[in-house]
Amino acid sequence: MDRRQFIFRGLALGISASLGITGWQYYASESDSNRDWVLSALLPALLYGALPKDTTLAQHELARTQTAITDFMPYLPVSQQQELADLFALLANRISQLALSGHITALPQLSVNQRLALLASWRDSYLLVLQQAYHGLRELLYGAYYGQPEHWLPITYTAPKFC
Amino acid sequence: MTANHLDASQFTANQHFTADIVIIGSGAGGGIAAEQLTNAGFNVLLLEEGAYYRSNDFVMEERWAYPNLYQEGAARKTQDKSIGILQGRTVGGSTTVNWTTSIRTPPSTLDYWHSEFGLNFTGENDLAPFFQHAEQRLSIQPWPVPPNANNAKLQQGCEALGWQYTVINRNVNGCANLGYCGMGCPINAKQSMLVSTIPTALSNGARLISRLSVRKLLWQDHQVTGLEAVPVDAHFQPRSDIKVTIAATHYIVAGGAIGSAALLLRSAVPNPSGRLGKHTYLHPTVISGALFADDINGHSGAPQSIYSDQFVWPRDNNVAGYKLEVPPIHPVLMATKLIGTGEAHAALMAQLNKLQVCIALQRDGFHPESQGGTVLLDAQQQPVLDYPITDYMWQGMRQALLSMAELQFAAGAKQVLPIHHDAKLYSSLPEAKAAIEQLPMVKLRQTVVSAHVMGGCNMSVNANNGVVKQNGRHHQLQNLSVFDGSILPTSLGANPQLTIFALIWRNCQLLIKELM
Ligand SMILES: Cc1cc2nc3c(=O)[nH]c(=O)nc-3n(C[C@H](O)[C@H](O)[C@H](O)COP(=O)(O)OP(=O)(O)OC[C@H]3O[C@@H](n4cnc5c(N)ncnc54)[C@H](O)[C@@H]3O)c2cc1C
Repeated sequence: MDRRQFIFRGLALGISASLGITGWQYYASESDSNRDWVLSALLPALLYGALPKDTTLAQHELARTQTAITDFMPYLPVSQQQELADLFALLANRISQLALSGHITALPQLSVNQRLALLASWRDSYLLVLQQAYHGLRELLYGAYYGQPEHWLPITYTAPKFC
Repeated sequence: MTANHLDASQFTANQHFTADIVIIGSGAGGGIAAEQLTNAGFNVLLLEEGAYYRSNDFVMEERWAYPNLYQEGAARKTQDKSIGILQGRTVGGSTTVNWTTSIRTPPSTLDYWHSEFGLNFTGENDLAPFFQHAEQRLSIQPWPVPPNANNAKLQQGCEALGWQYTVINRNVNGCANLGYCGMGCPINAKQSMLVSTIPTALSNGARLISRLSVRKLLWQDHQVTGLEAVPVDAHFQPRSDIKVTIAATHYIVAGGAIGSAALLLRSAVPNPSGRLGKHTYLHPTVISGALFADDINGHSGAPQSIYSDQFVWPRDNNVAGYKLEVPPIHPVLMATKLIGTGEAHAALMAQLNKLQVCIALQRDGFHPESQGGTVLLDAQQQPVLDYPITDYMWQGMRQALLSMAELQFAAGAKQVLPIHHDAKLYSSLPEAKAAIEQLPMVKLRQTVVSAHVMGGCNMSVNANNGVVKQNGRHHQLQNLSVFDGSILPTSLGANPQLTIFALIWRNCQLLIKELM
């Protein structure tokens, strides 16, 4: 395992632990936990390369992004909120099934590339709902991450300031 | 809180209001109407489901602007999620967040309306005086400042290739060239409805009720008899605990395309032509990014100052026309559109300041295979647009990607990135061309966006062929007008606001004569 892979694993374990997720003993029930669970699986991979190398800083950025996502969702039309809840349930379930069928190992052990491959498989799926999931989640997650001024250092973007 | 303004979310009990004229929606159409009609002495009530935010609220951050100023938090999508739609939802409507490009209706568009819908805008119906009125009222002038680098590259590409381009007219007064028009102008330079016609209407005695969503018009025997509305909650969702009823002599629907059609569909108004909600147009837009060696900083400076009409009106109508422009380049807008994930996406974002972006807006509605979308209602009675993209349109989009790549390389781009999920950075025009020719033009692979929603309540001379007459009055309900971009019978092939300002200005003058 190279150093970056090692850091990523620490990060992924950290976010899973902070959400009380310890392994595959996961039962899709409540929509918030579905959401948090899917986000915790995908965010560190989607943002790989954007997150700071420092694990603590990265944890803060992930937490801030997750909060931004939850704050944003109520502005979506109720029908879209329902679609998203269904989607999170479906994805949580799908990830669990892949694990159960031995296609992938336990979440914390998944590498960045495995997670990104999972995302890519949704993008390329013949199921429209998975394609929509890929695009919908990308927009939601990247929008939430890059909306935060604290995350603008690597992209050297600043808004003008004046009184 | 301004006198004459009520925030419906503060209501604690049911309310009833009366007025001579009630206007639903405070955007380009509603804003012009409010000023014209109060100038003529009418008692006007202006209703808006968005909030009454002002320049002090505009903090130039996308994370605040999108949820608070845009429909569906700027995440509105067509039914199959293949097209992203930007529309304003705030006092001033989309004019509060638009990019200030002001273009008169192209003569070819007016000619097409004449031949297809019997609409004659010549002679005494000429729109020219109304363009002039609007241009004067809203300080619409050619932008005198040199374009920012993002627009300059569009200009340079056109110059190198001998393509047509134009310096854009903008509705600004005292613009500081910040580049944040899309998040609400923080210095009141943009002459949106928020800072121009609406303040005048309020000082003329109009009342504004914000955060109020109109749910239904009540009608009987060719007359609208009242309307029902509800406050919205902190996230702009319609509430069900309080009801607001309003009675007026004349009703003006100005909720914008999608919004106006949705209200009329909820109200089940007569629709003998069957066209209500149908033929909703988007100027479906594809995007091309390009990396330059020098800094572009596309977030800074007037977002749009150059356009090219080289390809809008191809001689062969079997080829879809498109207009070339650029968008402002801000982190959320770009992060959500740039392709890829993980390190690849992060690497593109790290070059944000070197990124130049072109957009090609397709002129939809002028071909049998480009008949727009249909507004539907979801379980909450909220609108959803079903907009199928035909092969004819996809081919036009491929052509547009080719043109943009050619332009960007001609302007000196090091690499070009068509925003398509199977594309990558290409280092030469031949490489880009070969790749673009092979890209699968299918939904959710090819990114498509829109900031120009038009139609759905189209005007026509003949009641069989439209929802409203040429003067914006409903074909069947006598005291109902639709005064916004939804009355356009096709897209325009030009950015819509000035067309809407002028049309509605004219329609108001006609209405005033009829009501006096
Ligand atoms: C990001 C962006 C950039 C743009 N840039 C340009 C540009 O540079 N140049 C240009 O010409 N055009 C531009 N446009 C488009 C232009 O602003 C619109 O075409 C124009 O404002 C439409 O006018 P309208 O009156 O039809 O609707 P809008 O201006 O959208 O106003 C409709 C209003 O009605 C309200 N409403 C809807 N339904 C209800 C209801 N049931 N109850 C109460 N209120 C309701 C909405 O909340 C909204 O505020 C841009 C648009 C966007 C979003």
